Amino acid sequence: MKFQSEPNTFAGEFFELLENSGYRWPAKIEGVTKQNGFTVPQGTTVLAFHFKGGVLVAGDRRATAGNSIMYELCDKVIPIDDYTLMSIAGVPATAFEMARVLSHNYEYYRRSQLQSMSTEGKIRALSKLLKENVGMAVQGLGVVSPIFATYDHALKKSRIHFYDMLGADFQIRTHTATGSGSQIIRGILEHEDLWGEKPLAERTREQAMTLAIRLLQTAALFDSATGQARPEDDIYPTLATLTEEGYRFLDDNETAKIFKTSTERS
Amino acid sequence: MFEEPYRWMEAVSTRHNYVQEKLKMGQPVIAVPYNEGLLIFGFAPQPGKIFEIYDRIALGGVGHPADVERLRMNLLDMAHLEGFNRSAQDVTSARLLQFGIAPALKQNFEEIQRAPYIIRMLLVELTNEGHPNFFRMNYDGHWETFKNGTAIAGEEKVMDWLQKEIQKQPFATYPLDQALQQACKLWDESRKLESDDEAKKDIPETLQEAFDQWYLEGAVLTEKSARKAIYRPLSNDEIERLKSSTV
Repeated sequence: MKFQSEPNTFAGEFFELLENSGYRWPAKIEGVTKQNGFTVPQGTTVLAFHFKGGVLVAGDRRATAGNSIMYELCDKVIPIDDYTLMSIAGVPATAFEMARVLSHNYEYYRRSQLQSMSTEGKIRALSKLLKENVGMAVQGLGVVSPIFATYDHALKKSRIHFYDMLGADFQIRTHTATGSGSQIIRGILEHEDLWGEKPLAERTREQAMTLAIRLLQTAALFDSATGQARPEDDIYPTLATLTEEGYRFLDDNETAKIFKTSTERS
Repeated sequence: MFEEPYRWMEAVSTRHNYVQEKLKMGQPVIAVPYNEGLLIFGFAPQPGKIFEIYDRIALGGVGHPADVERLRMNLLDMAHLEGFNRSAQDVTSARLLQFGIAPALKQNFEEIQRAPYIIRMLLVELTNEGHPNFFRMNYDGHWETFKNGTAIAGEEKVMDWLQKEIQKQPFATYPLDQALQQACKLWDESRKLESDDEAKKDIPETLQEAFDQWYLEGAVLTEKSARKAIYRPLSNDEIERLKSSTV
């Protein structure tokens, strides 16, 4: 431990603290231009959309490496702080590391500065991490494509942001999806929003959950990297809501019930 | 001048007197268990006595605000680096004190060319198993641990009296409102022990005055929280209920 005698100039910045402790974000590996024959776990469908009570974030549970299914219990919707969720598509190692850095960054800021980080600050913090990761991403070792959902206390509404690989963020007013199965369901989401029973933003929590489960099941029918639910093994998609009261994950029992009613054929 | 042991001991002794004199104005911070976790609270003319350090750890401080702030930042840095590099479960009060702050504070205190820290602090924690831990640390790095609550204050006699009185009550069985009420009464009674001092003439004489003129800072670490970070400041309702039951 050191006792600082200089004024604290980095004011609540966890990245700086990490770097001062010797941590380095993985840089591009010199001399490597492609993956050199090994495959990293990736492949996913995650989605988020506004519903009547807030934002729904959902994701399948499968992680793949090339043609191999590596894991069927992957949690791709990650709580960052009480009012923020990040859902991840891409390389889990990098994505989980980003989530851990972000989570500590927000909490460190809140505790040290005695106030929560602004929503803009939170959004930018993820941009910064993605920018730092560009080297690894272009090498194919660390591509991450996140969806970021947070509740903005100043505006009193939930927000969804989508990021590109370089760190640019785009606010989403209705719905978004990412991962290898996302192309399959983006059209359905748009169709549901424009011509469905009612717009997504007017649907109840239950209706939103039902739609999310059906979308993930549909994505899994066409994309081998998206995992089907396996009720016989208690494996269900991850479903979480974000409202002014913070995030809430559905537990397995609730998910099982909603899954059963959502997937019944008419 | 300090090559002779006696001179060094004399200088250290003078530092003790200096720090204790500076600490005298410090108002007590009390930490006690209650039936759903633990409570930490105190009154102060300016906010800045009670802080969240990590998911299950809180800090109470008495002394110079700048020194409290420096130690608070050091604790925050250590806790968050440890939590990031290992796990939140590895961040414990005992480790922060025993291997982090305490040796550095002792060294700082005994390096007599450096300004001493004017501080007493409380570090409280609700373990992952739900047990409350209470730690008290002095400006010279000496620390003690308690099972049933503890307190810090500017004057040692006040601190000692509070410690004895806290042990007499079954705080761990009280609901929050009752624990807060009893702790508040102890805070009020402890002030009768304080030395008469010209500098203390502006200090509120009654609880009513303390509520009106000062800030009541308080927080709980509670198992009832559904969140990972279980620190929660006392709500306005809880403070109002305390006020109406004690004033």
